[in-house]
Amino acid sequence: MHRHGTCQTRAVPETAEDPLVIVRGASRYYEDLVAVDDVTLDVARGTILGVIGPSGSGKTTLVRMLTGTLLPTKGELRVLGQEPRKFTRHVRERIGYMPQHFVLSEELTARENVSFVASLFGLLWPRRGRRVREVLQLVDLWEARGRRARQLSGGMQRRLELACALVHDPTLLFVDEPTAGLDPMLRQRIWTEFRRLRDAGRTLLVTTQYVGEAEYCDQVAVLANGRLVALASPEELRRRALGGEVVEVETAQPFDGELLRAVSGVRDVDQSAPRRLLIVTDDAGEAIPRLLQAVSRTGGEVISSSEYRPSFDEVFAKLVEPDVARAA
Amino acid sequence: MLLGLLKSLTRTTSFISKEVLEVVRRPGALFSLIFGPFLIMGAFGLGYSGQYKPLNTILVVPSSAGLPREVSFYQQYVGQSVTVVDVTEDVNAARDRLRHQEVDLLVIAPTDVEEKFRNGQQSAIGIEYNELDPVRDNYARFIAYRQVQELNRAIIENTVARGQQYLVQTTGAQPPVQLSPQIVAAPTRAELRNLAPVEPNVVAYFAPAVLALVLQHMGVTLTALSMVRERLSGAMDLFRVAPLRSLEILVGKYLAYAFFNLSIASAVCFLLVGLLKVPLLSPPGQVATVIALLSFASLGLGLLISTIVDSERQAVQLSMLVLLASVFFSGFVLPLDQFIAPLRIAAYSLPVTHGIQLLQDFMLRGDTNHGWELGALAGIGLVLFLVTSVTLRRNMAPA
Repeated sequence: MHRHGTCQTRAVPETAEDPLVIVRGASRYYEDLVAVDDVTLDVARGTILGVIGPSGSGKTTLVRMLTGTLLPTKGELRVLGQEPRKFTRHVRERIGYMPQHFVLSEELTARENVSFVASLFGLLWPRRGRRVREVLQLVDLWEARGRRARQLSGGMQRRLELACALVHDPTLLFVDEPTAGLDPMLRQRIWTEFRRLRDAGRTLLVTTQYVGEAEYCDQVAVLANGRLVALASPEELRRRALGGEVVEVETAQPFDGELLRAVSGVRDVDQSAPRRLLIVTDDAGEAIPRLLQAVSRTGGEVISSSEYRPSFDEVFAKLVEPDVARAA
Repeated sequence: MLLGLLKSLTRTTSFISKEVLEVVRRPGALFSLIFGPFLIMGAFGLGYSGQYKPLNTILVVPSSAGLPREVSFYQQYVGQSVTVVDVTEDVNAARDRLRHQEVDLLVIAPTDVEEKFRNGQQSAIGIEYNELDPVRDNYARFIAYRQVQELNRAIIENTVARGQQYLVQTTGAQPPVQLSPQIVAAPTRAELRNLAPVEPNVVAYFAPAVLALVLQHMGVTLTALSMVRERLSGAMDLFRVAPLRSLEILVGKYLAYAFFNLSIASAVCFLLVGLLKVPLLSPPGQVATVIALLSFASLGLGLLISTIVDSERQAVQLSMLVLLASVFFSGFVLPLDQFIAPLRIAAYSLPVTHGIQLLQDFMLRGDTNHGWELGALAGIGLVLFLVTSVTLRRNMAPA
């Protein structure tokens, strides 16, 4: 038997600077299974935090703890200034939640479903009718408002759930794998909508399995085996994964990369081919002129040089590699 | 304060409309809800006579007994509950037919009735039957007993008529009275008077019971499935995040399904009274009260099931178990006083037990001598509401 919810009980008043979500050393165990292990993170007001990790990494457990449906085994959680298990009605009205799976009624139409959820969050008529229309238009489902949910495609169902999560205009939105199983076009549209919400002052915590979607977030938390492997902006994550900013240099003739190690600001050199070098630097912008000079000085000729931007799949793989190895 | 109340009302009513729409949009469920109960009752009313068929009987009369051998002679004594199909002296052949269930009863007359009678001895009439059904076994015993009584009466009458020798010595100085053979054979007769306001009638008697059973079953089944579906689909997680109290969900669901139960009960009552001519002797309000309380308790039972099971299959299984228990222990088929005390207590914990008693009383007697059962029904409903409320609250708490 594990100890649940050891955090303070009093609600702390929010200030504009306070992060809307504060997680300190939160863990959740299911008997012998560690679902979330000692996670610490903040979500600042008006930002998007992407929680990225493979299936079973603890993303949904983290969201469920933050929405108050699951107690932490240990650690402290605070959302909108309150402990999730003691959310007041007022705070709940400010939270939006889009679950991982379709949980709406299949027999109700799109409009009836959104109206039902709006009622749950206390929206009174006539504002409810107006908001239902607005969010259905927002997710491009207004034309399909009279269709029963079970008649909608998978993508439309996800958009319907998003409409439900947005209908009461929440301050803080928890979205659990909103793009799972959707085509790239639709994923793009959903992320555009998230960024629009962020720009409108909303705060979002979005989980996803699609590592590439980290690009759309302000901050990214990388989870693996329940542990927080990294928490930073997408750019910072790239730097951390590769050990700095990487410059890709292609030369006309084969060139010995070891000759560049002495150049100021160079941390590492990876000779991926006789004429291709990946050079890890402190700052790519400053390092490139120095690198070009160094190549010329030693008789080489540079055909091209640019900052190398690895895909987030590569970044993610590099970040979780040590953790996976440790777990293995 | 007012805003909070308005929001709470909005949440509750949202569940009513959701549940009603979900049920209405399932045509199969709708069909079985609206037409199913009436079809069951109609088939029952039209198809069940409630009468036992006469027992086909062979009389085995030895030739030495000196008794008549015509079927018609015996038929006049045995009445309508027995059909004498044969009079024979071959007891083995008759037993064979009984064994093959070609006949229901074998009556074996003694060989020397008259002689034994004159000697002041009793003769034994053999009655044989071949029955597994305990109810029909009892019926056969009763019929056999009655036949023997009738036969005894016939013998006494016959003997008295032949001899004219039975005189009764009265007290005092009055001369002995000569009595007719019929009076000697049967000095008393029964004159029956049923004080019930309506003549016993199978359809009228069982219709309120079927109505109670259908209402309970419908309430339990619909609600048992409603919440478990939400729990399994994950909708409950959304409810847990929303500013929603378990009481708002519960009241919303009660009201939605009460709407169905009461609508269907009204329609069925109308058809029962209007079409099947089942009497309604009490003011309709009393029947409505019973139906409302029965619905309240049944919905509570269904909702309780839905908060404790882990799958739709389990919900259906438990609903069926409740139905099975209701058929056996509610007094619907077997009288309650035939059960041992612990089972009677279990029977009285079923809403339908009280529903049947009260609906039969109010509809067919115009009043009830079991007023406490109204309180019991309300009590069961209240306890179920409270337990379900606690269970749902626990379900909605952070895990």
